[in-house]
Amino acid sequence: MLKTIREVLRTGNATVQYPFAPVKRPEYARGKPDHDSEKCLACSACAVACPPNSIQTVVDITAGKTTWSINYGRCIYCGRCQEVCPTGAIKLSPEFELAVMNKSDLEETCVYSLASCSECGEFFAPAKAVDYAARILSRSRGDDEHMRRAIELISVCMNCKQKHDAYRYWEKSKQAGELLC
Amino acid sequence: MLIDRQVSEQLQHRLDKITLDESMARAKAALLNDIKRSVYLYRVDCGGCNGCEIEIFSTITPVFDAERFGIKNTPSPRHADILIYSGAITRMMRMPAIRAYEGAPNPKLVVSFGACGCTGGIFHDNYCVWGGSDKLVPVDVYIPGCPPTPPQIIYGFAVALGLLGQKLKRTEIVEKAGEQVPLRFESIPYKTKVALERKARLLSGYCSGRDLADEFMTALAAGGGDALPGVDALIAKQQDPRRREILEELKAELVSLPAAAG
Repeated sequence: MLKTIREVLRTGNATVQYPFAPVKRPEYARGKPDHDSEKCLACSACAVACPPNSIQTVVDITAGKTTWSINYGRCIYCGRCQEVCPTGAIKLSPEFELAVMNKSDLEETCVYSLASCSECGEFFAPAKAVDYAARILSRSRGDDEHMRRAIELISVCMNCKQKHDAYRYWEKSKQAGELLC
Repeated sequence: MLIDRQVSEQLQHRLDKITLDESMARAKAALLNDIKRSVYLYRVDCGGCNGCEIEIFSTITPVFDAERFGIKNTPSPRHADILIYSGAITRMMRMPAIRAYEGAPNPKLVVSFGACGCTGGIFHDNYCVWGGSDKLVPVDVYIPGCPPTPPQIIYGFAVALGLLGQKLKRTEIVEKAGEQVPLRFESIPYKTKVALERKARLLSGYCSGRDLADEFMTALAAGGGDALPGVDALIAKQQDPRRREILEELKAELVSLPAAAG
């Protein structure tokens, strides 16, 4: 009997005291994805990568808004969003206390504005992404023609870019003295 | 065709969600007051991958010991106070799910368990999946996770039993005017940055490759004019030979770049 008690005292208590004391989480434990809306470009890379479509973006082209949303109830904590995020805006945190009584508490939404095309005025890409790309391009040495053109056409939508390209091609072919089409 | 034969809608693809009235909410509150440390669980797996079940069983092991709260697993819904619906609601499991619900004595608590139980999870757009268990039965607590880890499960039960409050709240954020995303490592040329990140991800995978490239570039940017001593210090600091090798390769990549900063 004494031997048993001594053994019990020696081994101690193996049970984790949670929820009365904080639980120790292992390093790299995957919990709730923390989204920093200020760092987010609204580029939708995470929405494309998300295997269960927990992250979704809905674009309202008439209102010029894009809504980024995450449903923690559908998230499988794989961390693909963290891998693909170009700015590190989304990161898996060790936070695990996610149980809720009401399903709508599992959702998070962020609304971002879209940039409008400087030529036709249509909304085409998230304003923050356009701004970010413009700043990266302006810092790079615009020595090759490709880069210079990209800087020129940063605030132009896809359709207008195509028009520009067609016009440029037409000019070039006129210079060459023949119409290649 | 099923409609013609006067089959209840519950048996068809259109589900009648079971709804509860006011008196049941009061009864549930009374139940929570009464059961205290004698909670019997019954698990209903409506079509999951069994990951959730494994985590439930690791919750009742001595390490996490859910029986501290009197939580016990029961093999019959007739003894249950709490029903755990894990897995997405699949077409074939709708009747067993409803029968388990009807079998448990009133009042009972229903817990939607895991990502599949909450919303259908990764199977949400499968042809035979109807979504989360809230499509079928009234749910009291949602425990997300794929699968939920034992502490997450204990927290969920604590919320269900009213021991702890819920932490997560619905957030709706609207972009502020003039919000700008900060550029990362501005002092390093963009093409160098891309080359380093690519190399690091090629060598050590997408996620840790990025971490390593970030560490490398932090050391590089901190050095200012002459960056290589900072990088050498970072490499010398590494305990793990794999990390050291990758950082050395990154350094070789940096030196080999035509117009690298360094």
